[in-house]
Amino acid sequence: MKIVGLIIVAVTGAFLIYAAADFPAWSDPASPASTYLSPHFIEKSMEETSVPNIVTAVLADYRGFDTMFETTVIFSAGVVCFFLLRISRREEPESRYYRHVLTGVTIQLKEGYKMPPSDDFEQIDAAWTPPDLIVKTACRILIPFIQLFALYVIAHGHHSPGGGFQGGVILGASVILFAISHDLRSAVRRMSEKLIAILCAVGVLIYAGTGALCLLLKQNFLDYSVLAGVLHVDPITARSHGILMVEIGVGIAVLATMIWIYNNVSSAGRYRQGL
Amino acid sequence: MDIMNIIVCVLLFSGLFFLTGGAVGILRFPDFYSRLHPAGKLDTLGSLLAMTAFVIFNLHHFSIGALLTSLKILLIVVFIFLASPTATHGIVDAGVRAGLAPWTKGEKRR
Repeated sequence: MKIVGLIIVAVTGAFLIYAAADFPAWSDPASPASTYLSPHFIEKSMEETSVPNIVTAVLADYRGFDTMFETTVIFSAGVVCFFLLRISRREEPESRYYRHVLTGVTIQLKEGYKMPPSDDFEQIDAAWTPPDLIVKTACRILIPFIQLFALYVIAHGHHSPGGGFQGGVILGASVILFAISHDLRSAVRRMSEKLIAILCAVGVLIYAGTGALCLLLKQNFLDYSVLAGVLHVDPITARSHGILMVEIGVGIAVLATMIWIYNNVSSAGRYRQGL
Repeated sequence: MDIMNIIVCVLLFSGLFFLTGGAVGILRFPDFYSRLHPAGKLDTLGSLLAMTAFVIFNLHHFSIGALLTSLKILLIVVFIFLASPTATHGIVDAGVRAGLAPWTKGEKRR
């Protein structure tokens, strides 16, 4: 069976290399892509969309449909991780552990008993390890700056490298950093699974909704220039604002998916500390 | 050849000196903990010095834009200064928790 697989791989690889020989030469100015499309993007993207960053204009406007399904791919990655890994039922009866925050004394309650919510005690998992004070403090200082930078990256995608995907990843990473430096339970308490799932879908909804709004205003799907009437700006600025709207949607979807995948993978779907 | 260039050169070369020392240390030290020592300390100091040199060099032709760029580089310096030693500490902490014994004199390199 391995031999057959190897032959298939070798034959497919040979065909790919054979096909690659037909490609236009590297940086050939006469190749089809450089003849029509690239000059149009380079020369016209500023006057058509008023977005100085050509990459953002191509990604979210000229090829907005493609990017919408990229966002959907990320959304499905999160959902697939959830369905494959998440274990909601418990195999054996579990006792709960509560830790007194000030003294560090931990008490164990048998199955069926629960402690009334109080500020003095926090519920911890069986494999809980005390978070390191230095790492905890440094992360506490850094996380707000990371999140601020992430918002800057999303909002500044028009002018500098960045955009929804990158900013969303940085935002998600800041929450993951919190989960690493503290513990998973506190991270889930701040950003519950339900909220993550909703945000994941809302991000895609914002993107598709922007497109559908254009459709409702009697234009093509994702043709942002018709949003001029809604936003009270001229059609070219409307395209720029439309790009920002979909970037925000992408950012939210990526943020939620990053955290969702991390939570599920790092705890093998049990949402308990420690793999 | 003014005084600013000399300061920039001195900072840049001392930064490079420390970075080289860090690289040599990572290769030469005998075990996990001692290898993290140059990785955490010398890399931080080396990049701090080199970046400070960039800040000063950037202010060579003074303008508001250059000042803003310099401030951004200074921010990077601050964040490296915070994050790099913390990361090293976190890795060492993980090693201690996993029960890795430190190297002692006379043992083989690991």
